[in-house]
Amino acid sequence: MELIVRSGEREEPVRVERSEAGYRVTLAGRTFEVDLAAVAEELYSLRVDGAQQEVSVHRLEEGRYRVAWAGGSTEVEVADPLTVLARSAHGAAAVKGPRRVAANMPGRVVAILAAEGTEVAPGQGVVVLEAMKMENEIQADRAGTIRAVFVTPGQAVEGGDPLFEIG
Amino acid sequence: MPAPRRIRKVLIANRGEIAVRVLRGLRELGVRGAVVYSEPDRKSLPVLLADEAYPIGPAPSRESYLRGEAIVELAVRIGADAIQPGYGFLSERAEFARLCGDAGVVFIGPPPAAIAAMGSKVESRRLMIDAGVPVVPGGRDPLPEVEGAAAAASELGYPVMLKASAGGGGKGMRQVREPGELAAAYRAARSEAGASFGDDSVYLEKYIEDPRHVEIQVMGDHHGRIVSLGERECSLQRRHQKVVEEAPSPAVGEDLRRRMGEAAVKAAAAVGYANAGTVEFLLAKDGAFYFLEMNTRLQVEHPVTELVTGIDLVAWQVRVAEGEPLGPEFDRAHPRGHAIEVRLYAEDPYRRFAPSPGRIALLRWPQGPGVRVDAGVIAGAEVTIHYDPMLAKLIVWAADRERALARLGRALDELRVEGIRTTAPLYRALLADADFRAGRLDIGMLDRKLAAGELAPSGAAAGGAFQGTGGEAGDLPLLAAALAHFDRVSRTAATAPPSGGGRRSRWATAGRLGSLRPGSRS
Repeated sequence: MELIVRSGEREEPVRVERSEAGYRVTLAGRTFEVDLAAVAEELYSLRVDGAQQEVSVHRLEEGRYRVAWAGGSTEVEVADPLTVLARSAHGAAAVKGPRRVAANMPGRVVAILAAEGTEVAPGQGVVVLEAMKMENEIQADRAGTIRAVFVTPGQAVEGGDPLFEIG
Repeated sequence: MPAPRRIRKVLIANRGEIAVRVLRGLRELGVRGAVVYSEPDRKSLPVLLADEAYPIGPAPSRESYLRGEAIVELAVRIGADAIQPGYGFLSERAEFARLCGDAGVVFIGPPPAAIAAMGSKVESRRLMIDAGVPVVPGGRDPLPEVEGAAAAASELGYPVMLKASAGGGGKGMRQVREPGELAAAYRAARSEAGASFGDDSVYLEKYIEDPRHVEIQVMGDHHGRIVSLGERECSLQRRHQKVVEEAPSPAVGEDLRRRMGEAAVKAAAAVGYANAGTVEFLLAKDGAFYFLEMNTRLQVEHPVTELVTGIDLVAWQVRVAEGEPLGPEFDRAHPRGHAIEVRLYAEDPYRRFAPSPGRIALLRWPQGPGVRVDAGVIAGAEVTIHYDPMLAKLIVWAADRERALARLGRALDELRVEGIRTTAPLYRALLADADFRAGRLDIGMLDRKLAAGELAPSGAAAGGAFQGTGGEAGDLPLLAAALAHFDRVSRTAATAPPSGGGRRSRWATAGRLGSLRPGSRS
């Protein structure tokens, strides 16, 4: 199976095949014989030429994983080459249209920092949400105009509820 | 002093890790432990470990864990001899302690009057001055004229801090480094105070530059004896919230420990203190220390003191409440070795500490020599948004600080939490920080380093290489994710219902799906 993996700045083609040892993985032109043992849900032991690492792999969503090992953790995207092609073709258009930003967790709206019609810069706070006794600023993820604000201070929201639209 | 009374059952008016900690202490004493729980906490660890558990209301704290009257009534109804409030919630409400006493239930903590006296900033400061406990120099009297402010400032010595009398939250506060800056700062502080609090009076205090937060654990019995159990260094704070604590402090030697201990005992005695309490001090660079406040309860970070003194604070809280005098272990409470605690919060330290609620999919605590985990959650638990996001405390002990740091690193490597984000990566980054390793700490340090991006996570680029396999740093997570994805896709393909209607071998289906995938060789 041919895949493309990406973590941070690094993007590499990967080929995965079954082999005697378990798997033969070719990453960035180097081939590894990998023995993979699933220890528990989301927890694996990886052996490569005898070198052993315990790794947890948590699926965040389709094709996106959080990988943690002794000493660090990172997010990795895995896609087949066709998906990557399709995404890059649609990507340019998708960025241009208006975008709705939703609450990422349940909470209560504390304040609106940028009303409808406000020009915002990337990283500028738009809505303040309170959850777990902490206030969190929900920010504009890009430059644009606030087209609509769907919530009012004091309102309770569920995770996934739209907060504002930026265009 | 309350009449001696054997405590056979205790109701814990708290939740999470501290409820678990108290239950453990009670179990070891042979005392029955009862807990209250809110609706979302029905399946929480304290309920699972308790001898008795009673619902107290829905999720919001004021409708559950803060219902003081209902909790006291419950204690009476179930025949509990005492209530242990833990920290937070009802623990520092004098009114609640009084309510317990009135109902004939022992409040495991200090007398209500001591809670009330230490609960007021103005009152406690006055009491401390009278008792000869050092406080930050300055007056609380308003300074109505700039001339008076200038005279007071030169008497204190620069730098000074202007503060709003009605203040809080940094409003109306101005640091003044030299006499030339005073007039402008005075005007600004007054107008800001007036705008914020409707009262524009301000006072002056000595400005303590980059102090440490060092606190003394005290324990008093009901026979007039109060003992210092040494200090805890709690300078690593994020927006005034402690995140890492250790004992002893790298900045405190034998002489300073004795002097701070004596001051703390004086502070506690001034309010007629009994049971466990903590006197917090600011420690200046020149070795001077100043009373900040007293926390009249068990602290989150009490385990580091337990580990270096060998004294079980929770057990002694019960014994003291029963009227027992402090035992011989309190005669020689000198720190032995070094203990460090890190607080594990369900927050993403690299997304401005955004809360990270969710289901804990995978959880494995570190174990082995010198490691203690005080946790309030288990694998599968749902971390909700209703309460404080602290999941657990990871505490290590070793013969000295250097070895304790190594042990903390080893323990963090063993820790596995998935499904939610935690602050663990921040502690790994701290372990690589030269200032932390050297014990050069102050209360603003963590916020400064975070703002400067100095504590970046050790991600793919920093590690995760298989040694001796010819691969490069960062190969490991890429390999692992690719294999997990491959397995998942293969499994999905193997179990997918046949699309053609008729029964078909799963292997054949998998093979067909595989062959449809362009470039597939598997």
